[in-house]
Amino acid sequence: MYLPTYYEFANPGKILSGRYALENIASEFRLLGSSRALVLSDRILEKLGQVKVLTDALVSGGMKVVKVYTDIPADSSIEVVNHIATLYREANADSIVALGGGSVIDTAKGVRMLVSQGGSDLMRFTGMEVLPQGRHVPFAAVPTTSGTGSEATVVAVIKDDERHVKMEFVSQFVLPDLAVLDERFTLSMPAKVTAMTGLDALTHAIEAYSCLQKNPVSQCYATAAIRLIRENLPTCVAKPSDRHARLAMANGSLLAGSAFSNSMVGIVHAIGHSLGGVCRVPHGLAMAILLPHCMRFNLDKCAEDYAEILQYMVAPEDYVAVSASSRAQRCVEAVDDFASSVAQAAGLSLHLSDNGVTKDVFSDVAERAVNDGSLIVNPKATSKEDVLRILEAAF
Amino acid sequence: MMENVLKMLTITRPSMTRRTGNGIKSLVSRVVLFVLYRALKVLACDDRRVASEVATWQEGQSVAIEASLEGPAICFKKESGRIVRCNDHTPVDIRITFRSLDAAFLVLTGQMDVANAYAQHRFMLNGDINKAMSLVRCIDIAESYLFPRIMTKRILKRVEAKEFSALRVYRKVFLGV
Repeated sequence: MYLPTYYEFANPGKILSGRYALENIASEFRLLGSSRALVLSDRILEKLGQVKVLTDALVSGGMKVVKVYTDIPADSSIEVVNHIATLYREANADSIVALGGGSVIDTAKGVRMLVSQGGSDLMRFTGMEVLPQGRHVPFAAVPTTSGTGSEATVVAVIKDDERHVKMEFVSQFVLPDLAVLDERFTLSMPAKVTAMTGLDALTHAIEAYSCLQKNPVSQCYATAAIRLIRENLPTCVAKPSDRHARLAMANGSLLAGSAFSNSMVGIVHAIGHSLGGVCRVPHGLAMAILLPHCMRFNLDKCAEDYAEILQYMVAPEDYVAVSASSRAQRCVEAVDDFASSVAQAAGLSLHLSDNGVTKDVFSDVAERAVNDGSLIVNPKATSKEDVLRILEAAF
Repeated sequence: MMENVLKMLTITRPSMTRRTGNGIKSLVSRVVLFVLYRALKVLACDDRRVASEVATWQEGQSVAIEASLEGPAICFKKESGRIVRCNDHTPVDIRITFRSLDAAFLVLTGQMDVANAYAQHRFMLNGDINKAMSLVRCIDIAESYLFPRIMTKRILKRVEAKEFSALRVYRKVFLGV
């Protein structure tokens, strides 16, 4: 097993997973010394009645919900975070509960940063591992999709509207105290969203397993995630009401999130972020499209890791039937087959041309991709020309 | 006996051996940081790849590289399209602070590249990570001139080809001509 000369690993917060997980937030918050929660979510979840499910659980457990804010957009911004931090102070809240996908949870991470550090401008804290601990603000993240893994990551990505760029905040102190996995919130997720977010989680796990920052702990998390995703994602797409498969995917997403939070992600995310920025391709879909092509690009540098991943992607008898020298290549094919079959079942196309991308934007996408921070830990040096070749292959 | 004496003392300074080591590492780091800055300044004019990277930096964009919080540091910025040194270390757009002098020494003596230093949490970064990517590429190219190929081949993901001899860079770094 690979052991770097030095590594660090920030464990996720306490995980509450499964039946009545939501109902246990109040008692956990009591232990953390808080009783007045600010609840953050979005309009869709409010309309679906899921915010009500959460607030009922909190209030039944003895918490006071002092403010509910559901105007968080899909691409949250620094301004939104600064505004919510003001509301937090005005409401005299002492804790935060975020219910939603990556945008809501990342917004909550930003609010918590501001509240715990003091001040009114989040931009002071951009960067990597520069944030001091500050005042402890109890924070629970309840994901409603199984993909971003944001409930277990040390990263918050928030848009700077002034400059039209996404800013990254990396610190162990943005990790939520509680990651609450309750399958009630994912049962209504449409097949397409289930497939996209699930393949996003698979990408997190594979990149975490093979990028420069990999370490024994993150690789354990990544392989557990790959197994859970391979065994349960097809079921979630075919039978959305399967509670066991939904909970398993929520766990797979969390484990993949924690893995990549400590190992970071590479070229798939670098290009995917740029595709999202230039062409508005949904993040999970971009990951699903790019993953096999980027694995082919990295194959010579990641052969050993991919050969190991194969045992989690296929049945044991299939794994032993493949010669050791062919396992890495076979792994790429297995990932490609898996992504294709999940996408087909959900009615998605894994070609850029079918998803509103035209070749005239390739140069802009490539230019942005080589400046994306994710590329620094990709095991293979990547030029603009390399990115253009990958985009052509994925077209 | 010695152990018991140590337990009773409040230790406020490192041992003599450690202080000597720190002194040497600090001196080496100071020299290498200066050479790195001078090399970037030279390459921003003479090497097409570094020149095109620097062209994408905003006018006035400033960078500080600190070999630990209390250690030696270098600060430079883009001014009229060229890289110039600035003495004021605060505030800057990108600040790279190595977490220890030992970590800085690893990178500045060519034992580890910037990507692996990032992966091993060897430094903290203040500022926009995306902006720092261009700086990382420039440093990788500078290292391919400053360090022998036997070292760069081991530490860099890809050793960039030199557009001219390393001697020319060293001559301009130290003699300015």
